[in-house]
Amino acid sequence: MKKNNLLWLVLAFGIFYFLPVQHPVFKESLFNGFWLLHDYATKHVLLCLVPAFFIAGAIAVFLKSDSILKYLGPTAKKYIAYPIASVSGGILAVCSCTILPLFAGIWKRGAGIGPAISFLYAGPAINIAAIFLTGTVLGWELSIVRLVTSVILALVMGIIMGLLYDKKPQAAGSVVANDDESTGLSPWETGLLFFLWMAILITGGLKIAPLLKTILIVLSSLGIVYISFFRMKKDKRNEWGAEVSSFTLKIMPLLFAGVFVAGFISKAIPQSIVQQFLGGNGIRSNLVASVFGALMYFATLTEVPIVQTFMNLGMGKGPALTLFLAGYSLSLPNMIVLFRLMGVKKALTYFSMVIVFSAMAGFAYGNLF
Amino acid sequence: MIIKILGTGCKKCKELEANAKAAIRDLPGDFSIEKVTDINEIMNFGVMMTPGLVIDNVVRSTGKVLSAADIRAMIAK
Repeated sequence: MKKNNLLWLVLAFGIFYFLPVQHPVFKESLFNGFWLLHDYATKHVLLCLVPAFFIAGAIAVFLKSDSILKYLGPTAKKYIAYPIASVSGGILAVCSCTILPLFAGIWKRGAGIGPAISFLYAGPAINIAAIFLTGTVLGWELSIVRLVTSVILALVMGIIMGLLYDKKPQAAGSVVANDDESTGLSPWETGLLFFLWMAILITGGLKIAPLLKTILIVLSSLGIVYISFFRMKKDKRNEWGAEVSSFTLKIMPLLFAGVFVAGFISKAIPQSIVQQFLGGNGIRSNLVASVFGALMYFATLTEVPIVQTFMNLGMGKGPALTLFLAGYSLSLPNMIVLFRLMGVKKALTYFSMVIVFSAMAGFAYGNLF
Repeated sequence: MIIKILGTGCKKCKELEANAKAAIRDLPGDFSIEKVTDINEIMNFGVMMTPGLVIDNVVRSTGKVLSAADIRAMIAK
């Protein structure tokens, strides 16, 4: 153990020794990293990310996952299973660590490999915080297109995998669900709670007078506090709080790191390189984006500042969409796990579909819009 | 009593395991805690949302990180 630490220390020393502190580009990049951090902190964290995390936590705790899992079980009709698998990622797998077990479960004990693939692909893509952050930072057109295309791709890829690889219905396993789902809130109140959080999110993004904004946000917050503390069961409220803090602790540090890196490379990478490989909306740029996205590991949300940086450096709209489509669901480490889980043939089929279809979707978007 | 924690190794599963260990401390009786990380084995329990808590081969909870107190209550039932 000590030897490892010593090695890291030597590596760190090496880096510091060779740090190009005289180069103006280095100074600019460093500064830009901090600048972007400040930008995100002032513009996006309070009014976009915080409400989004509370909403994500609420979804994890309040929406009854077992009723959805029913539609993905072994007796589910295929034409229901596919669409549900493609959109329920946001509800079933709010924590990304449960995506793999859910995928395996839907495949081997549930509706089959087709819907399982739809879920595997769409799961990470339908992420409340990501949808809102993409919208506020990169514009709502891109965010909505991203969402819709993810669902379409999930359906298409799932159906193809299903047609290619689905065997006869397997052993009907039973799906174990949670029994304590009571929250103390009526459906009306639950709906109102979600609505109030969304109201804060949306008001934050509207271009209206600051006074009006503040009033709306304060009113919504009061409503939320009332429902949370005077209507909700204490256990559920604590559970909700725990979910929110666990997301925040997991995601925010990575997001800050990602923002800093994005700011840094914004000044460190010459525009010409980005334009050469990712510029415009041609086939090459989209393919480069697709492969890069598939291999790179992007922690949830870190894609947004990175895509933002590349776009400022000249990446086209098409490759931007492609990066999102291929980036969220795949990364080298997770490809390795999938190889072991699905076997080489199925895994390769899935990966190549993701890369090709993402590039095609990006190409279409870049050239048609 | 055999307690199994089903999970692929993420933070939530580790929390559940830690809470389970805390729950059985000072409790009279024979307890053992096992961590199940193999996806196929997890599925054999019918658990789709990890982390999962299994007591004496009966699944008692999925998808939630139970506190040590909750786990102790479940053991008592």
